[in-house]
Amino acid sequence: MLRKHRNLLDYSFDCLRRYRMRTAVILVTFLVATTMISAVLFAKEGLEREAEFSVEAAPDLTVQYLKGGRVEPINTSYIDIIAGIPGVEKVLKRTWGYAGIGAYTFVVVGLDPEGLDHSRGVITSLEEGRFLKPEDEGTGNIVIGKLIAYMLKVKVGDDIILLSESVEANKFHVVGVFSDSSSIYTADLILMSFSDANKFFSMPEGMVTDLCVYVDPAEDPASVASKMNSVSNIRVLDQDLLLRGYKAAYGARGGIFTTLWTILLVAIAMIAFSQAIVVGHESKFEVGLLKTFGFSTLDIIEVRLVESLVLGFFAASLGMLIGYFYTAFFNAPGLVDILLGWAYLPREFRLPVYVSLQSVFSIYAVTVIPLLITTVVPAWLNAITDPELAMRRAAA
Amino acid sequence: MIEVKNLTKIFNRGKFNETAALVDVSLKVRDRSIVALTGPSGCGKTTLLSMMGLILTPTSGEILYDGESVLRASDYWRTQFRRQNFGFIFQHINLLPQYTTLENVLLPLYSSDLAPGEYEGKAREWFSRLGIADRADHLVEQLSGGEQQRAAFVRALIKDPMYIFADEPTVFVDEETSRLIYGIFSSLRDSGKTIVLSTHDPELMKLADEVFRFSKGRLC
Repeated sequence: MLRKHRNLLDYSFDCLRRYRMRTAVILVTFLVATTMISAVLFAKEGLEREAEFSVEAAPDLTVQYLKGGRVEPINTSYIDIIAGIPGVEKVLKRTWGYAGIGAYTFVVVGLDPEGLDHSRGVITSLEEGRFLKPEDEGTGNIVIGKLIAYMLKVKVGDDIILLSESVEANKFHVVGVFSDSSSIYTADLILMSFSDANKFFSMPEGMVTDLCVYVDPAEDPASVASKMNSVSNIRVLDQDLLLRGYKAAYGARGGIFTTLWTILLVAIAMIAFSQAIVVGHESKFEVGLLKTFGFSTLDIIEVRLVESLVLGFFAASLGMLIGYFYTAFFNAPGLVDILLGWAYLPREFRLPVYVSLQSVFSIYAVTVIPLLITTVVPAWLNAITDPELAMRRAAA
Repeated sequence: MIEVKNLTKIFNRGKFNETAALVDVSLKVRDRSIVALTGPSGCGKTTLLSMMGLILTPTSGEILYDGESVLRASDYWRTQFRRQNFGFIFQHINLLPQYTTLENVLLPLYSSDLAPGEYEGKAREWFSRLGIADRADHLVEQLSGGEQQRAAFVRALIKDPMYIFADEPTVFVDEETSRLIYGIFSSLRDSGKTIVLSTHDPELMKLADEVFRFSKGRLC
């Protein structure tokens, strides 16, 4: 009995070798489809993980001031009002904005000195140097993202010049460089003391960009946020909302994602077509002949199943491998501009890549299963037809 | 013994192109004999051979092997029966073009517990007997019609079947090979095989123990 299955296995592999055109068509189509889909999926998952990481680094609640429905700087007098709301542990002020160096734009954030030693909500993982301390207030010391260090070719101990709001040259001193583990959040980040940021952005006295609210760990941030509804002219953003926003940013880029899925489906349809029409007659004749020799319907299905599984798994695995290399090592040319996040990120930014078991199984499922169906079902239909008729029809 | 009782085959039944290929045919084929089916083209010889070989289902009637009706058996049983007992030589040869002559011949062994490789020697012996030893490793599309016919002959015999169904087995071969085939059929019968063939070849008919003549799907 085992001998027979070995024979059938040999025959299946033989078919893959002999029906070169059929094998090549399926292999190339699946390779292209799975490469594209895996590149997008792995990059999308990488970006989503980065978004989650960024949100973990965000305060529990962010309070912004609204005037006429638009966000404007908020008065620090709100700190006491919000700090008085039950469940609020700490309120920190934050000033942030954008600064350009040449063609590049970076995010500049000034942190409340009181919050520098706060254990939650601040990314402090550094590749080199040190994080900001309360003593850095007003000194021009900064911590920069790894991407900025790479692009400007600066390291700890170097100075960089940033043009302020009033087009004045401001010299800053690099004391630390963020590590890769905080990639997308810190890539284009310049972190400085609060007073340096306020001065840099010429922020009016007593005004800040927004307030960072930390909730008592025993409290639910959403219920604390709901208690802030009574405070007029403010908008409260919680981590879920931020995460949804980040993911929506990728979702908006999902057009290409949808397009690629469509391409994949079209590819599968093409294969189904080629299976049914192009190789159908050849296949029909072969099945009829094999049945004449004593191959049972199950033998025929076994042969086709092995053929499809080997081909499908090989093509999908190779496609995923190419997709991974295309994204992780070549930074997905053609995709990177479409997929990248909410703020400006230069091409030098390395696309985060994450391969989850779920996406690997999804890719196998959308590639191998349709192939199995499009090969096994016609083979089964042929196999249950009288062999003589199957051969006659194939020859007709 | 093979018994065919009131066998009828109608193609495209109920459609505008309905064709009665075989009508109410009854005959018996004794074991260890050569039976020839003859008649003009389209008279139903191939259809009868296919039905006796269990590769075409009749519209009505019965086929018995050693007194046992085989048409009521499952597809799996009939497949097994075919695998163990039948060898086919088709009118259109039916070799797979992607395979060499030797590979085509060994193909029927893949559905069994036999090791195809172990039958290579036997296949090559047959090739030598039939004069195509030098063509064993060529793709079949590189063979002439006659050579292909001889390869198909070897394929039918490779598993040493009890029943051989041959549809016009000498139609593509030269006189010398025809004579060789007559001799082989004769020795197969002597060794206990039953051969049912359709033919227009008068020499083959002379060799047959019994000849059934057909016309328009009916036994004359």
